[in-house]
Amino acid sequence: MGEFKVHRVRFFNYVPSGIRCVAYNNQSNRLAVSRTDGTVEVYNLSANYFQEKFFPGHESRATEALCWAEGQRLFSAGLNGEIMEYDLQALNIKYAVDAFGGPIWSMAASPSGSQLLVGCEDGSVKLFQITPDKIQFERNFDRQKSRILSLSWHPSGTHIAAGSIDYISVFDVKSGSAVHKMIVDRQYMGVSKRKCIVWGVAFLSDGTVISVDSAGKVQFWDSATGTLVKSHLIANADVQSIAVAEQEDSFVVGTAEGTVFHFQLVPVTSNSSEKQWVRTKPFQHHTHDVRTVAHSPTALISGGTDTHLVIRPLMEKVEVKNYDAALRKITFPHRRLISCSKKRQLLLFQFAHHLELWRLGSTVATGTVEAMCLLAVSSDGNWLAASGTSAGVHVYNVKQLKLHCTVPAYNFPVTAMAIAPNTNNLVIAHSDQQVFEYSIPDKQYTDWSRTVQKQGFHHLWLQRDTPITHISFHPKRPMHILLHDAYMFCIIDKSLPLPNDKTLLYNPFPPTNESDVVRRRTAHAFKISKIYKPLLFMDLLDERTLVAVERPLDDIIAQLPPPIKKKKFGT
Amino acid sequence: MVEEENIRVVRCGGSELNFRRAVFSADSKYIFCVSGDFVKVYSTVTEECVHILHGHRNLVTGIQLNPNNHLQLYSCSLDGTIKLWDYIDGILIKTFIVGCKLHALFTVAQAEDSVFAIVNKEKPDIFQLVSVKLPKSSSQEVEAKELSFVLDYINQSPKCIAFGNEGVYVAAVREFYLSVYFFKKKTTSRFTLSSSRNKKHAKNNFTCVACHPTEDCIASGHMDGKIRLWRNFYDDKKYTYTCLHWHHDMVMDLAFSVTGTSLLSGGRESVLVEWRDATEKNKEFLPRLGATIEHISVSPAGDLFCTSHSDNKIIIIHRNLEASAVIQGLVKDRSIFTGLMIDPRTKALVLNGKPGHLQFYSLQSDKQLYNLDIIQQEYINDYGLIQIELTKAAFGCFGNWLATVEQRQEKETELELQMKLWMYNKKTQGFILNTKINMPHEDCITALCFCNAEKSEQPTLVTASKDGYFKVWILTDDSDIYKKAVGWTCDFVGSYHKYQATNCCFSEDGSLLAVSFEEIVTIWDSVTWELKCTFCQRAGKIRHLCFGRLTCSKYLLGATENGILCCWNLLSCALEWNAKLNVRVMEPDPNSENIAAISQSSVGSDLFVFKPSEPRPLYIQKGISREEVQWGVFVPRDVPESFTSEAYQWLNRSQFYFLTKSQSLLTFSTKSPEEKLTPTSKQLLAEESLPTTPFYFILGKHRQHQDEKLNETLENELVQLPLTENIPAVSELLHTPAHVLPSAAFLCSMFVNSLLLSKETKSAKEIPEDVDMEEEKESEDSDEENDFIEKVQDTNNTGLGEDIIHQLSKSEEKELRKFRKIDYSWIAAL
Repeated sequence: MGEFKVHRVRFFNYVPSGIRCVAYNNQSNRLAVSRTDGTVEVYNLSANYFQEKFFPGHESRATEALCWAEGQRLFSAGLNGEIMEYDLQALNIKYAVDAFGGPIWSMAASPSGSQLLVGCEDGSVKLFQITPDKIQFERNFDRQKSRILSLSWHPSGTHIAAGSIDYISVFDVKSGSAVHKMIVDRQYMGVSKRKCIVWGVAFLSDGTVISVDSAGKVQFWDSATGTLVKSHLIANADVQSIAVAEQEDSFVVGTAEGTVFHFQLVPVTSNSSEKQWVRTKPFQHHTHDVRTVAHSPTALISGGTDTHLVIRPLMEKVEVKNYDAALRKITFPHRRLISCSKKRQLLLFQFAHHLELWRLGSTVATGTVEAMCLLAVSSDGNWLAASGTSAGVHVYNVKQLKLHCTVPAYNFPVTAMAIAPNTNNLVIAHSDQQVFEYSIPDKQYTDWSRTVQKQGFHHLWLQRDTPITHISFHPKRPMHILLHDAYMFCIIDKSLPLPNDKTLLYNPFPPTNESDVVRRRTAHAFKISKIYKPLLFMDLLDERTLVAVERPLDDIIAQLPPPIKKKKFGT
Repeated sequence: MVEEENIRVVRCGGSELNFRRAVFSADSKYIFCVSGDFVKVYSTVTEECVHILHGHRNLVTGIQLNPNNHLQLYSCSLDGTIKLWDYIDGILIKTFIVGCKLHALFTVAQAEDSVFAIVNKEKPDIFQLVSVKLPKSSSQEVEAKELSFVLDYINQSPKCIAFGNEGVYVAAVREFYLSVYFFKKKTTSRFTLSSSRNKKHAKNNFTCVACHPTEDCIASGHMDGKIRLWRNFYDDKKYTYTCLHWHHDMVMDLAFSVTGTSLLSGGRESVLVEWRDATEKNKEFLPRLGATIEHISVSPAGDLFCTSHSDNKIIIIHRNLEASAVIQGLVKDRSIFTGLMIDPRTKALVLNGKPGHLQFYSLQSDKQLYNLDIIQQEYINDYGLIQIELTKAAFGCFGNWLATVEQRQEKETELELQMKLWMYNKKTQGFILNTKINMPHEDCITALCFCNAEKSEQPTLVTASKDGYFKVWILTDDSDIYKKAVGWTCDFVGSYHKYQATNCCFSEDGSLLAVSFEEIVTIWDSVTWELKCTFCQRAGKIRHLCFGRLTCSKYLLGATENGILCCWNLLSCALEWNAKLNVRVMEPDPNSENIAAISQSSVGSDLFVFKPSEPRPLYIQKGISREEVQWGVFVPRDVPESFTSEAYQWLNRSQFYFLTKSQSLLTFSTKSPEEKLTPTSKQLLAEESLPTTPFYFILGKHRQHQDEKLNETLENELVQLPLTENIPAVSELLHTPAHVLPSAAFLCSMFVNSLLLSKETKSAKEIPEDVDMEEEKESEDSDEENDFIEKVQDTNNTGLGEDIIHQLSKSEEKELRKFRKIDYSWIAAL
């Protein structure tokens, strides 16, 4: 395979922002995620959890609430007091409407999707009507004393529950007046807290209101009588988020200790209809506050200050125990944040609000402030391949400035592509880990690509977690394709036979002391190296030099605020 | 009167109380626990043993209350029978013969005529849960052969089976899976813990299981200390569980409270945890229970819990988590280093008890008297930790002094050694630490003995050690200006050619000290500490050494590792005789010349009793135990027996107890085991057996005084109604179990008659006599046994021969009783 001199770059000081809200859309199986810097990302859960759309954020637009309404429309509200709608086609902000209630802390779309409710700093709950191209203020509900931190609609749309500081109010939507005010106990088990903040409420169809608060309690209230039914103390710190499944047979809460608890409605005995809520499993996938949770029909989704988006499938809901049933942890964006100039040995780092240009071998840094770019395509000669968010790839002739051809449509979004220097073969990686090679001059897939598709990829190759973010080529070895994802770097040698499911995929680079015969027998097309991880970028500088940009997770965690200290047994 | 039966080896109490879960009676007044071949009934309030239910011929493996009659108790045993008892009277009602070894018993209220049992039929390791149909029959012994199979491949322990929700399902755990069998649907669901295979160190084996009394919820305990609460288990896919984790080590047992609102768990931490509402944050603890919790049970009334511990103890705990009573048997948790000793004051057996403690165990009442904390350090219960061990102990000067040695050796070169001397304090009735000696020797102490001669003025202690020295310690005046404090100091250090000192022993009169140095025995004068002579037989290292007693005090006996028993004559300084015997235990009888030696062979252990003066043994019993006998001791009898046969005469003055490797305490007896163990309640009534403590002097006299007073008053006014509880007819009426009473019509006349003052002239003396007798009768269940005890007592006090007693008439007996009372008054006055 050959040996390379490697520039191991670790000075890319990239820190992703913490996750503030997640919103799951059941119709399209998409997940909207907003971060503390105002960035909003849309993940397509059907396409192997690929980050499909991306709205760059701004600090002045920090989102506090995110929700889907009327099917596919995405709204967000933030501390600047504005409600925004995102244009998911044009990938920009459609409009922003000021709610005139001070910072907005919470937002909820009505079960029908036609109304939007926001809870404001001044204690007001405002109802907006969603019109086809805008939202329109309808009316105010009875004003409360303190800020409204959480809102939930009754599934019938007749009542809402609003969580505030020290109490929960139940409003009648028709009259707009508060029906009940349920005071939340500040003290629990002798631990006194100054104020009990109701971080989240959920209104169930049987009239039960579930609240989570800063005293670590999950409480069940009867909204008809306004009484407390049951209380679960689950954490020593705040319980910050709650999400209920659509069937209302399970819900999930996230705590400031980084634990996510699953509650399920189980029958008391097999032959009675009486059911009770039981805390079942705890999941500790986060180190910091779990600021937000979502409940899809098959998975629990959580995100928080530690910047990970965790998707934990529910085993009992999964039909077949395949790779989809595995836990997913998404940390890095599914885009390339680094570009490299081979001739001048320059690295360009893309941050949220600025760029950094580094010269390899020296330590001079220059920065410019610029807007963000979408997925771009580069070419060696006169071809340009372009891919939008909707999976299709178009090839343009640059010289003639017209469309040359369109690569046959594929269901999954493109994660990376590149055109080989001499053959003008376009190599495309999709989010389902498939790799295609398309000959631009011939306007068809190459023979190698066809044989690969016929035989299929190794099952371990298809089960990788992260998408391929960069593809490049060796200038002297046309048979080689270099590609990488966050956890491995791979050189595909098209001249060697493909691996089948029985062969070992992740063999290390063959040790030199083994005889040539053995090496040749075990060799296959995929040469994989897992030395560098998490790998954000890797490219060839020249024939013998590689540049690898890593971003160790520990470095990111070191820059986050410290987590809540928990006593660990035996320490 | 004592029939000359064959001498048999009998188990004498000290059997495990913690073998199975204890069971409460329905009213929580009694607690039942299996104890070897018996079932013991204890009072939960007084901690006293009320009854011992004997009848099984092998280990009792399970007890359960009869769900249809809560005054009855089922028990099952390895002898293949299920017995039904009336526990209030201690009567065996019925025996069901099943015919195969029963390992556990379960009852379910809904299955009226059947019980469940664990059996293994074919292969030794495969156990099955079967339902046993108990046929209805009036006869005492019924065959119950109708077994129907429920579950296969289950764990042997009854902790791994639980019946839930009024017998709708049964849950069984084994290794990594939980199986639930539904009786109605006749289906089994099985849940396997997956992480057991994936993770290297995940120890989530199931250890125990419990079912919620009203809800469909199964709690399972695991090796890694987790508790899982399983729900929705009728669905193979939708099942779910909650994890509760506090224990850091294996969960030993689980129990739900009667209402199901709380779950109790326990383990090696010796902490009872109550999980309220089955939530992780809402839990209560009862810490410092002393030893690993083996079992937890809950009373049906819901007011009491009880925990069985690995140190053979049952703690009864009130609902508000306060320990209310402790039933302590012989602690058998750990290996015995100190050997068996007899406390000269209490006549209690003394040996290693709880970690770092000496236990004083009463052989008569089969219960622990008290614990003496020797090491006085917090015991950290963790696997693999090297602890301080109490290795040696000895009593001296008639129980006034106690010497103990403790050691801890982490590495070859790092030895921590400490000797402590304890003085008996009459005021506190306990031992008080007097002297603590750090590193009394450079190496392990191999032997420890006091000079127990009657005339010696100064208490003397000798320690022998592997470092080649023996040291003599004497009690001296400590530098206290009031000359009151005393302490122990080293008086003499002796050695012999740097050989390791292995044994030491004082002669009976204290004039000579024998110390063995590997193969050589040296004799030292105890006044001048001069080496008098040496004996060397070159027959291997000396393992045991002892002087003869009484008429045989001129002999010294030594047993070597090569299996030679030597007897030297101290007057001629020559070998008197030797015999080839692989001696494991050699114990002299303090009351006679006899010496008991237990030899070990591949087949088992044999007992030889001999006198040093003649090499021919007095008595030989082969095969006393299949396993190795580790320790033995002679216990002086309070009442000498009178065996006429020559072979049994050695048992007249003392009784020989020995402890095997598996820590069963055995002795020799001619009586049947039923006679051996007399419940304490009966003994308490026999006034004569009260020890003459200062307490007795007060109370005993007082009582007699009262009796006299009563006599006087009765003489004065004859027309006085007797106290109701003293009327025999009334007491009979009240204390006879209802099911054996004749019809009320029959009793009525008797009852009325008893209330009438009889016209017969009653002598004033006779009335208290009757009172006395009835008092005894009140709490006695079988008069015969008690009579027997009394008679023995009589022989003791009056010195009459046993043959005479046989022919005593009733009047004579009464006379004797009177005599007995008079007798005591003057003894008390002495």
